[in-house]
Amino acid sequence: MSAGTEHSTRQPFGQATRLPLWSAVRTVFSLEMRQRLRGRGWYWMLGIWFTVIALIFVLGTAFLGATDNEGGVLFDLVVGFILLFGLLVAPGLSANAVNGDRAGGTLAILQVTLLTPGQLLAGKWLASWVASLAFLVLSSPFIFWALALGGVNAAEALVSLVMLAVELGVVCAIGVGVSALANRPLFSIVSTYMLVALLAIGTVIVFGLSTTLVMEERTVRSSYYTYPESSLDSMGVPEEGAEAVCQSQTYTADLPDTQYITWLLAANPFVVVADAVPYSLPDVEADPAPGGMVPGSYYAPGVMETVSQGVRSAQAGPDLEVTCEESMSGRQPLPQGVPIWPLGLGLQLLLAGALLLIGRRKLTMPARRLAQGTRIA
Amino acid sequence: MLPASILRSWHRGVAYSRTMTDECGGIVVEGVARSFGPVQAIRDIDFEAPPGEVTALIGPNGSGKTTLMLMMASLLAPDHGTVRVAGFDPVTQPAEVRSRVGWMPDTLGVWESLTAFEVLRTLGTLYGMSVADSARRADELLVAVKLTEFGRAPARVLSRGQQQRLSLARALIHDPQVLLLDEPASGLDPGSRVDLRSLLRSLAAAGKTVVVSSHVLSELDEIADRAVFVSRGQSVKSQTLHEAGSQARRYYVQAEPMQALADALRSHGVRYEMRADSRREEFQIQLGSTAEASWLLRTLVMADVVVTAFAPAGGALEETYMSLDTDRL
Repeated sequence: MSAGTEHSTRQPFGQATRLPLWSAVRTVFSLEMRQRLRGRGWYWMLGIWFTVIALIFVLGTAFLGATDNEGGVLFDLVVGFILLFGLLVAPGLSANAVNGDRAGGTLAILQVTLLTPGQLLAGKWLASWVASLAFLVLSSPFIFWALALGGVNAAEALVSLVMLAVELGVVCAIGVGVSALANRPLFSIVSTYMLVALLAIGTVIVFGLSTTLVMEERTVRSSYYTYPESSLDSMGVPEEGAEAVCQSQTYTADLPDTQYITWLLAANPFVVVADAVPYSLPDVEADPAPGGMVPGSYYAPGVMETVSQGVRSAQAGPDLEVTCEESMSGRQPLPQGVPIWPLGLGLQLLLAGALLLIGRRKLTMPARRLAQGTRIA
Repeated sequence: MLPASILRSWHRGVAYSRTMTDECGGIVVEGVARSFGPVQAIRDIDFEAPPGEVTALIGPNGSGKTTLMLMMASLLAPDHGTVRVAGFDPVTQPAEVRSRVGWMPDTLGVWESLTAFEVLRTLGTLYGMSVADSARRADELLVAVKLTEFGRAPARVLSRGQQQRLSLARALIHDPQVLLLDEPASGLDPGSRVDLRSLLRSLAAAGKTVVVSSHVLSELDEIADRAVFVSRGQSVKSQTLHEAGSQARRYYVQAEPMQALADALRSHGVRYEMRADSRREEFQIQLGSTAEASWLLRTLVMADVVVTAFAPAGGALEETYMSLDTDRL
């Protein structure tokens, strides 16, 4: 037992008062990852994840077997489900990062080292992000399978995956921030789920409710092809060789000016991902034959692309003029106007950043004020 | 010309005034208060721990020992008063304090899936040591706290006492000038307690400032050079072990038969009472000094009383603790 005396002659170790950012973050990161890799919970979650994605993929394949755009729709489906499950998994991986350590009595031990609260939070965030990225990596067989079926361009695939990774990172940042603020892991996990639900579902509800605020009476001119009265026989069937003519109708209706409230949807993770992806829109034949049937390339978007189209149509506002051509061509893909995802991502980053900043203040020691019932160690 | 305080304690070979304690890596706490909401955890504590000595922080449960430890470890800011640790203020210069302080909390924080070696190495790097340095130091400390064979096993398999020793090693990882140990002996087996004692003595001999909080007083008797008593958030007394040893203390005396002892004591006018808290039949006697004790023992033996036991009732610190008795009144 002479650990102390041995070193009195040597230069003492701990005279540094600052840790380099990178080495501090790396130490916290490896501390977190090592615990996760040795625990069982993470592997269970990965296993369940893989099973569920596989199930959905197989069901999707069976269901879509006959469609032409199978690869594209499947890829879109997988991206949508990864995002959905990612939003469910990421809070569980991140929202007990700090207060879990507090409950385990290890937080204070880290706080008396030279580690700063910012470095601690950065390391914890990075670890939970990497842990949730593992779920993305685990889904890669299905992603590649869908890509192999064709119909997805490289930009669409790449941007989808990058945006998925970014969204997981944002949710992890929210989770770590909340975990630094709340005293109990259970409370912070539930709170993080609430915040994620607020983004994913709350934005849609608020958007839906707000439509009543922007409702206005509008005159809509709707046109369609029909056969003139004179060309119909007694049974109401058009005569041979009769030509359909374009007829218009005007009516008034209460329609929401959704273009003013679409920004409410911006922070929705599904919107952020879908809006950022450059979907390759099929060329719609410019001039379908009057009276002819639906033109050749039928537009069948996948789940995420539907979200993207929904946002674009909300941005465009109500269609007050439906031409005869439009009425014939079925659903037409809308091209992107103003991208909304930078706003959404900005709002999300603002939320995560604010939580992390307040959390950082709370972790700064020595503590002046403590919440009721907090025990430092 | 030497300062008076140095002359006063010159005979003990260790001498520090308050300023010297501060400048040479000790701890000086003055007039500190801290409340948690409506609970006043610390009202007014003065505390001094000079380098090269083991200072005991003694007090009943809830007297503010741990709160004071947290303040010295730079985790808690005082509402009033000043804290100086190794020449720095933990509130304004926490990094300087942290690089010089090793803190062993009273709660066991365990990274269950990490090995003892990994815990020590990680903490070493978090004190700015290189990976090689902290790995070497971790190995040394595992030897020092006798955990070598468990060094590569996950911490969850360690027993409570072993985790306690790991916690001690963790506090020592960066070879700190100041060591704050909150209840270090709880959960340790007798052998480990002896090891702890010699480790702390060797650290003090190497010039470190060692603060030990405990309420196991018999243990502190042998480790500590000085003691600060706190009660209800106030420092009530501060004394060196030397002072504690020379104060009046209680003795337990046993004889065969007890009646002869009672007669002899009465004839010499020594007040005694029957000990109430023991299974054995014993008399408890208050004696002013060791000289008085040896006089009484000699007198009893000369008077042909068959003395079968004659011993101090407790350690010197226990005596002080009982005489203060502020919390139990």
